[in-house]
Amino acid sequence: MVHALDEIRRTLKPNGVLIDIRPVEENWPVEVNASTGYQVAGRLTDLPVAVADDEAAFRAMREAESRRWYIKEKEEEFAFFYYWDTPSEMKEFMDEEWEDFEKLEESVFSAVKSAWTMANADARVRVRVKMLITRWRKL
Amino acid sequence: MQKDPEGFERKSLHKFADFANQRVLEVGCGEGRLTWKYAADSSLTVGFDPDHDSLRVARADAPYDMQKNVHFAEASARQIPFVNETFDIAILAWSL
Repeated sequence: MVHALDEIRRTLKPNGVLIDIRPVEENWPVEVNASTGYQVAGRLTDLPVAVADDEAAFRAMREAESRRWYIKEKEEEFAFFYYWDTPSEMKEFMDEEWEDFEKLEESVFSAVKSAWTMANADARVRVRVKMLITRWRKL
Repeated sequence: MQKDPEGFERKSLHKFADFANQRVLEVGCGEGRLTWKYAADSSLTVGFDPDHDSLRVARADAPYDMQKNVHFAEASARQIPFVNETFDIAILAWSL
């Protein structure tokens, strides 16, 4: 990762900008969302490999900063939502795409199904992914 | 499944960088999902990714009006196939 940051720096013009945009693990909430509002039904469980990836990314940026390759100018968090029409569709996606990173505990899945069943007809389920965006300036 | 229908990612990206007439390098562009959110403003966008299949999707999905200024390449961030000081902006797209 550190080598990649050096490669990017090489290809950037003087005073160029590096935007780092990525999800950050934080046991993302699973919500039931309808036109009347939303409720948190539970949270996903971060798996060790995802947490380790996060730590490695932060470590790499700290290393690049300490080597005076970049200086941090601005940083913010925002939410990135994944929506599914039904809890089953959500589970299917997670089993296929997120199996190495996130775990949907059976108790959380049951709570989501209950909340979704009780909610308005237009209710969908969603995961609120915590995102981090940072602007770095090449030094 | 729907991703970010509120467009929060796009808004954040444009809040953090002005892409107008800039040369942009996107690292880990995948299927180009993020690329299409800013590339129209840039003078040149190059997205690269080591995944051949994802790049095929990105090329196939390229909007007609962006085909001239957006290019995709199969490469790794460990060895970026461009000369020094080519780009104004680099984006690490969910890839660090």
